[in-house]
Amino acid sequence: MMTSNEKKVTKKDLMRIFWRSLPMEFGWNYERQMHLAFAHMMSPLMKKLYGEDDAQYANSLERHMEFFNCTPQIVPFIGGVVASMEETNANSDDFDLSSISSIKTALMGPLSGIGDSIFMGTIRVIATGLAVSLAEKGNILGPILFLLLYNIPAYLLRYYGVMSGYKLGVGYLTKIQESGLMETFKKAASILGVMVIGAMTNEMVAINFTLKLGSGDEAQTLQNILDGMMPGLMSLVVLYIFYKLNKRKVNVLWQILGAAIIGVLLTWYGILG
Amino acid sequence: MGDIVPALLIGLIGFLGPMDFAIGSNLLNRPIIMGPLVGLVLGDLTQGIIIGASLELIFMGAISVGAYLPPDVIVGGVLGTAFAISLGQGVGAAITIAMPIAMLSLAIGNLLSIIFPMIAHSGDRAASEGNARGITKSMWTIGLLECTRRGVLCFLGFYLGSSQIEHVLSMIPDKIINGLEVSANLLPAIGFAILLQMILNKSIIPYFFLGFLLSSYLHVPVLGVAMFGLVLIFITMKFNNTGSHSMTNTITGQGVEDDDDF
Repeated sequence: MMTSNEKKVTKKDLMRIFWRSLPMEFGWNYERQMHLAFAHMMSPLMKKLYGEDDAQYANSLERHMEFFNCTPQIVPFIGGVVASMEETNANSDDFDLSSISSIKTALMGPLSGIGDSIFMGTIRVIATGLAVSLAEKGNILGPILFLLLYNIPAYLLRYYGVMSGYKLGVGYLTKIQESGLMETFKKAASILGVMVIGAMTNEMVAINFTLKLGSGDEAQTLQNILDGMMPGLMSLVVLYIFYKLNKRKVNVLWQILGAAIIGVLLTWYGILG
Repeated sequence: MGDIVPALLIGLIGFLGPMDFAIGSNLLNRPIIMGPLVGLVLGDLTQGIIIGASLELIFMGAISVGAYLPPDVIVGGVLGTAFAISLGQGVGAAITIAMPIAMLSLAIGNLLSIIFPMIAHSGDRAASEGNARGITKSMWTIGLLECTRRGVLCFLGFYLGSSQIEHVLSMIPDKIINGLEVSANLLPAIGFAILLQMILNKSIIPYFFLGFLLSSYLHVPVLGVAMFGLVLIFITMKFNNTGSHSMTNTITGQGVEDDDDF
């Protein structure tokens, strides 16, 4: 009977992809980056789909040893999509294999763009902001909060990613991209990230002028005057300077060294404190 | 020469840090987590938390995005915290020590990484023989070499470096150490600047100022600002779907509706 030969991806297979996606950044190298981890992730399913035919099985492993790089938390989603394609291929004779590689390549670019800005640029920044304000006082809840805030969404995305990736398959993805939903997501993440960085600039870039202007009772610190103009103004100025330096591709090490030297000199002469 | 036992424990922390890449990139290797661990080993958890938090801010921009490899936050964070605690110095000393170490460790790592693609080619051979275990093995070989490199650097750095670094720090006048602490408060701006360069474009600049002003004039804490941001995004996205993009509305509308499923 035809139907008994039909190969089906089960939830157990998808869970295996989920677990095997964890070491995605292990084995990273300059040449093909996450390829070993990706092949490691897909290999049990490949065994299940092609295990009876040695040549086909080896072929499928080689297929997933191509260059791969993406935000780790997004990878299970791509794994799910690939699983649905491999399933189709295993059950038909005329499937275009190159489409598997091309969908991987097509997905990893835009999805890492979104993934990096959501996880590195937004969630991590918020987690750091909240955790550091506790940890700076020596509170152990700071580090714990940091891990929870970052990892709960990360693992939810990993789990729902692999499930929905498989369910959505390929057709739907192109639809999302065409509709501009990806761009909307990316923009939303950027807005959130940028607002938080704005708040953190005021909260965490601390600069205090101890220099006194005037004499006697009328003496005022320079800081009072600056605060009167706009609280946090100098933090903004400091950020702007570094932003410009970064834009001119000044090495970060020089920036740090420069900040250290200027900070030491200004403190030495009693201007900062 | 320092004591061998704490040095070995510091080395172990340096080894375990990159193991995080094997168990899901959970950010366990960031200074805010490694700092407390180092503090625990050296008997001063509170200092570990505080110094770890400061180094976290300073290394905020040091993340690998795309193919860019940042300074080695793991070794820099571990040794920076370890020296600052063991020498009884504060945050100023920690950053003075951490940054050059992180750069040095990246350079050593780059040297070592030349051999990684060679190991990966043994994975290719395994794949062509239909041997999935061989692929996993070459992945673990590369990963464990990275862990070992960091572990050895942390161990040797702490074991051999304490006395030298103590000597250097004792020669530096207090005024300069104070100045370095003042500088440390400026350094988070470098991390923020790098992040901003990654995500900022003209259309979202106003949102940066909105976040800043909410904090500076109204003293809204970071979480509050994030919540304002969410509400704002919700409002603007609604606006986009019903208004300016009416041309593509039929496609977009459907996409959004179906999206509720995930």
